[in-house]
Amino acid sequence: MRFLIHLRSELWKLFGKKRTYIGFGMFLVAQNAMLLAFRFTRWQQDMERLLEGNGYLAQEFISALTVAVVMLIPQILLLMPLYTTLVGGDLVAKEVEDGTLRMILARPISRLRLLAVKWLAGALFALALVLVLGATALLCARLWFPWKGMFVFAPGQAFAVLSSEVGLQRYLLAQVFLAVNAVTMLSLAFLFSCFNMKPAAATILALSYLFVNLVLESIPFFDRYEVWLLPHHFRCWLRVFDTPIPWWEILQSQFVLLGAVATAFVVGAVGFQMRDFKS
Amino acid sequence: MTAAIELVNVTKRFGRRTAVADLTLRVPVGEVFGLLGHNGAGKSTAIGMMLGQIWPTAGQVRVHGWDVTTHRARALARVGAIFETPAFYDYLSGWRNLEIFSSYTAPVSRQRLAEVLDWVGLTGREHSAVRTYSHGMRARLALAQALLPEPDLLILDEPAEGLDPEGIHELRQMLRRLHRDMGLTLLVSSHQLGEMEQLCTRIAILRQGRKVYDGPWDRMGTNEGRIRLEVSPFEQAVAGLQAAGLVREGGRDSEGGWVTPAPGVGTEQLARWLVQAGFALHELRRPRQTLEEFYLSLIQPAREGSEERRPMASARAEGGVVA
Repeated sequence: MRFLIHLRSELWKLFGKKRTYIGFGMFLVAQNAMLLAFRFTRWQQDMERLLEGNGYLAQEFISALTVAVVMLIPQILLLMPLYTTLVGGDLVAKEVEDGTLRMILARPISRLRLLAVKWLAGALFALALVLVLGATALLCARLWFPWKGMFVFAPGQAFAVLSSEVGLQRYLLAQVFLAVNAVTMLSLAFLFSCFNMKPAAATILALSYLFVNLVLESIPFFDRYEVWLLPHHFRCWLRVFDTPIPWWEILQSQFVLLGAVATAFVVGAVGFQMRDFKS
Repeated sequence: MTAAIELVNVTKRFGRRTAVADLTLRVPVGEVFGLLGHNGAGKSTAIGMMLGQIWPTAGQVRVHGWDVTTHRARALARVGAIFETPAFYDYLSGWRNLEIFSSYTAPVSRQRLAEVLDWVGLTGREHSAVRTYSHGMRARLALAQALLPEPDLLILDEPAEGLDPEGIHELRQMLRRLHRDMGLTLLVSSHQLGEMEQLCTRIAILRQGRKVYDGPWDRMGTNEGRIRLEVSPFEQAVAGLQAAGLVREGGRDSEGGWVTPAPGVGTEQLARWLVQAGFALHELRRPRQTLEEFYLSLIQPAREGSEERRPMASARAEGGVVA
């Protein structure tokens, strides 16, 4: 019960801040910009050519579901790390910087408990971000495109053609794995936030770590080591569109990501526990 | 009797710098205890260790008998704290801030929240965002959050910093009420010696991380040097006192007349002689030593690099411990 009250306090703090909503706002802006581009550029013709070149009736698959997934891919690659690490980097370091953490630590709450509720509040934010991203992508796409079959294409990663019913189920399932991605990114920034540094530094360090992973993965020599790099596992959400779904590979990636989350929390907690908090 | 706070041979080092060295301190229950010292003397570090925010390198810190390092939750269950610059979630209301901070001790009822807000005089502004509060209002909100766990012990680290004279007066009155009406033990760290003089019943002075004095302030001695004297005619009276062997010297300064009594001579003997000799005696008093004088007598010698000068003998005689 006491844990829930502490969690409520953390959520009040987190969702009372305007900067928490930057991510939600930017996703909406980005989605609408992309929709305009889809509607009024040659994107549709290119997509139709690709489908017809593979023997499918293009008009059946230029749909809200197809567009929603197309919009998700760049946002997840670029915007999601930015907004999750922004909030994750703030969780502890911003409170230290503002002096409010010192006020809290004058209270009889254990540091581990405090850190646990902070992380959980952050994880709930990440979950909300993914849900809003997924829902708005689909809703906005539906405003401009019809409800038909689903076509998923990501070069070298996914090529799938699904009915609208199966497509919607897979789309919802993908949100679960995207949520794990978001929590992992947030946890990395949270880890740095537990040490003695500014919130911006925690965010930048986490982003740097993710981008270095991405860069390493793109170097041909590192192909054989991709399982050691987080972006490889982040991409498992695209595998849910494969038929049949490669559950074992997806679960392996989920274990790796959850392991990264647990490691980030434990290392952060040890650092936080050992720190002195002084004005 | 269990002390409200007890530090036993506590040392804290940050890297190679020793912030607090072998500090032993006891804050008895019911006292208003002043912790004095120059910037960097180790006051805030000592307070940080009392609140479990800073881990001691060596020694034991106990609050209400509980070791803060190992039983932090129990030790701090009935402790309130206020820091130099009260920090709040500026984008939230005062009410919401109090709900958040109090939740880390124990949830409080809306009625209790309203009572405390009324007590500190913030009723009517509790639902405004804290960023709209004045410095004084923030200080009152800080006091409110410290009072919400219904503490027995209040720890205040430079609480008057940044307040205007009216705010300082208001804070002092509130702290007196807390001590008098609620029986709280207060530990106050401050640079404002005038304020501490009016508030504290016991003090400890830190210098470069070491305790140089610990003892009661209200019984601390009077100045053993000059005695203020206003008598007519002044020159004849001083000459008479010297002739009678009661004073060694006398004169006038910006505050008026003064004499230095001969060893073993008290003010009552001087008064008796002056009245019996027919002088018009207007004032005869041994000036009380101010906290500032006492503090500087301990702090200045070391700063000037000169040989340490011992504070007034009476301070030691009355139960204080000068290191």
